[in-house]
Amino acid sequence: MIKLLIEKELKNILLSPKFAATFLVCSILILTSVYIGVQEYHTAVAQYEANQQIATQDIAQATNWGSVRNQVHRKPNPMQVFVSGLHFDVGRVSRISGFQDVKLTRSPYSDETLFALFRFIDLTFIVQVVLSLFAILFTYDAINGERENGTLKLAFANSVSRASYLISKFAGVWIGLIIPLLILILIALLITTLMGVPISGGDWVSISSFIGLSVLYVTFFIGIGLLVSTITRKSSLSFLLLLVIWIGGVLILPRMSVMASGQLVEVESIAQIEAKQEAYQKARWDEYSSTISETWRKRSQEMEGMDDAERQAYRDEKEWDWLEEDDAARKQVQQDITENNRRLIEETSNQKKLQERVAFSLARISPASSFRLAAMNIAGTDIDMKSRYEDSMREYRDKFTDFTQKKQSESGSRGGFSINVDSESGVKIDFGRDDQTLDTSEMPQYSAPVLSTSNALSKSILDFGLLGIFIILTFGGAFISFLRYDMR
Amino acid sequence: METANETIKQAPLLEARNLTKVYEDGVKALDNLNIKVMPGEIYAMLGGNGAGKTTTINIFLDFIQPTNGNAFINGIDSNSDPLEAKKNVAFVSENVQLYPNFTAMQNIDFFVRLGGKSNYKRSDYENALNRVGLQSEAFDKKLRDFSKGMRQKCGIAIAILKNAPAILLDEPTSGLDPKAGKEFTKLIGELRDEGKAILMSTHDIFRAKEISDHVGILNNGELVAQRTNAELKGVNLEQLYVEYMAGYMEETDQNLVLTNDLN
Repeated sequence: MIKLLIEKELKNILLSPKFAATFLVCSILILTSVYIGVQEYHTAVAQYEANQQIATQDIAQATNWGSVRNQVHRKPNPMQVFVSGLHFDVGRVSRISGFQDVKLTRSPYSDETLFALFRFIDLTFIVQVVLSLFAILFTYDAINGERENGTLKLAFANSVSRASYLISKFAGVWIGLIIPLLILILIALLITTLMGVPISGGDWVSISSFIGLSVLYVTFFIGIGLLVSTITRKSSLSFLLLLVIWIGGVLILPRMSVMASGQLVEVESIAQIEAKQEAYQKARWDEYSSTISETWRKRSQEMEGMDDAERQAYRDEKEWDWLEEDDAARKQVQQDITENNRRLIEETSNQKKLQERVAFSLARISPASSFRLAAMNIAGTDIDMKSRYEDSMREYRDKFTDFTQKKQSESGSRGGFSINVDSESGVKIDFGRDDQTLDTSEMPQYSAPVLSTSNALSKSILDFGLLGIFIILTFGGAFISFLRYDMR
Repeated sequence: METANETIKQAPLLEARNLTKVYEDGVKALDNLNIKVMPGEIYAMLGGNGAGKTTTINIFLDFIQPTNGNAFINGIDSNSDPLEAKKNVAFVSENVQLYPNFTAMQNIDFFVRLGGKSNYKRSDYENALNRVGLQSEAFDKKLRDFSKGMRQKCGIAIAILKNAPAILLDEPTSGLDPKAGKEFTKLIGELRDEGKAILMSTHDIFRAKEISDHVGILNNGELVAQRTNAELKGVNLEQLYVEYMAGYMEETDQNLVLTNDLN
């Protein structure tokens, strides 16, 4: 019985003009998206390699370790073909210097603003927006449409149980939508590998999880389509309701939650923090200079009534202690300022994390957000990508500056130079190193942060769970509602 | 076995026993209805819109629960064991709608198999469609291009192929052209002769009188008159109908006048 019903459902989907149209649209979208994604990936790799070469050349041309301008680049990630995430928005390069903090600049979209205007459509977007809409298109009239058609009555004039009918309906639509989707994704993967994108073992695990996630997400929309079509009598009403739910869940809620968390949790801007840092610094130094003058005043008070010789002797005795005292006070101020700066930055970063948590918790009311967040976590193009890179770049910067300092002290030069004027050899400028290029063989090399697959997956477990719960709720709701459905 | 078969033959295949239906809004759709249809009989329910004809059929098919009383198909209470009861009945609705993307053959194949008959060959389907008078060119055409009459014929073919002992027909001839209506009447006569018990609701007084073994007149959910075919001989059924439906007919006439004025 169930087999027959599923067979009918599948046949009904496959024979409908709706299916032909949606399959065509999906094929074009998915295949072009992956094709463009692969091209974009290759461009990014070419650019990455060229930039690295330029950086190496720059270092090679440098005359001195103190004047080396080093910069490191964010490495393109093959997964960005399917889940571009924040790839296009986060900078690709950062200066590595002891004098300034690591900062990723020159994102793909800031370099090529035209493409930011109408953004790249990746597989995630297609699944999140287009396929969810198609899932609704195939389910909004699943039950009430058959009622309007009279086919429900005709079917139930036979010995058919409601449970098996609804299960078959679900299974039929599910197979009819998911199988073509999987076929398209497999073709897309084939294109990706044929076009030379290196996909590692870990990437394959990520891709499989992403496919699983997409299937869950589309299943949810099949579930909600069934649910709404069983709680309404007319397909025109259920279509309208589902459209409202879809717009709310897919388009509005994720954005609203980010805006709401911006209102709820205040995060100070960099300018505000800098102003605070400077104010503290100024106040601290002012305080220091007034204490210092106070100290010196006291010290001279102590010497009052002494004659010059006594004074000199007293001074000679105390001077070293005084200097040490002052130096300690100065160092304390410096330490306080550094500590304050660190605290301010930490506070802001905690606030930022809180803001993210609030935004994500709100957004996760909609499965569309769960899907997107999990997809980016799986692919490693998530919101932490930036901090992951910046942290590893900071680590590298410390290593690099240690190295350059060591090299400079070895060569006994700190970037200065000496000019020797010799009657025989003329003027000779000495940079305090060998005239040959710098020996970069010992220079620490930057390597991109590695996000382990298990780490990425564990970050998305919550969203997998949420999607599962949503599916159970919608299908369970549809089931209960259909058991009492008025067939007439 | 012989005696058992004999008793089944004597028992009604379709029986409404004290059937009462009161809707949630208090409207009484059926009031203590008692109907029996024996094997090889056609029972026609006559009555205006809202008289309770379709409600009766819906209760037989378990689409609605009776407030009181029972509907039995081949002795099985269709509300307590609907799945078993419905194995014994075929149904043709007033306006047969099938899957528009399927051909006639595909539609029939699905519904017949859903009815539990999976041993048919294509030739069996063709025979049934020929019997109901569908042109053979239409067999493999998609239903979306079918006229109402053609769809109705498919519905009847499905009912024939299900080969259930009882048949429920909800205004099966409404919207059919006279020729098709006549063919249909002939067809259900044949089915009756094969021993089927047929309960049909209809507005068509003349056709009801022509083929029915029993005619029941329903008004506001009540069976106000019941006659056998023999009793109807020489009786003007139309006259009888109007008499029993007098109050209702007047109302309808007024409504008609009103709508005509508005138009």
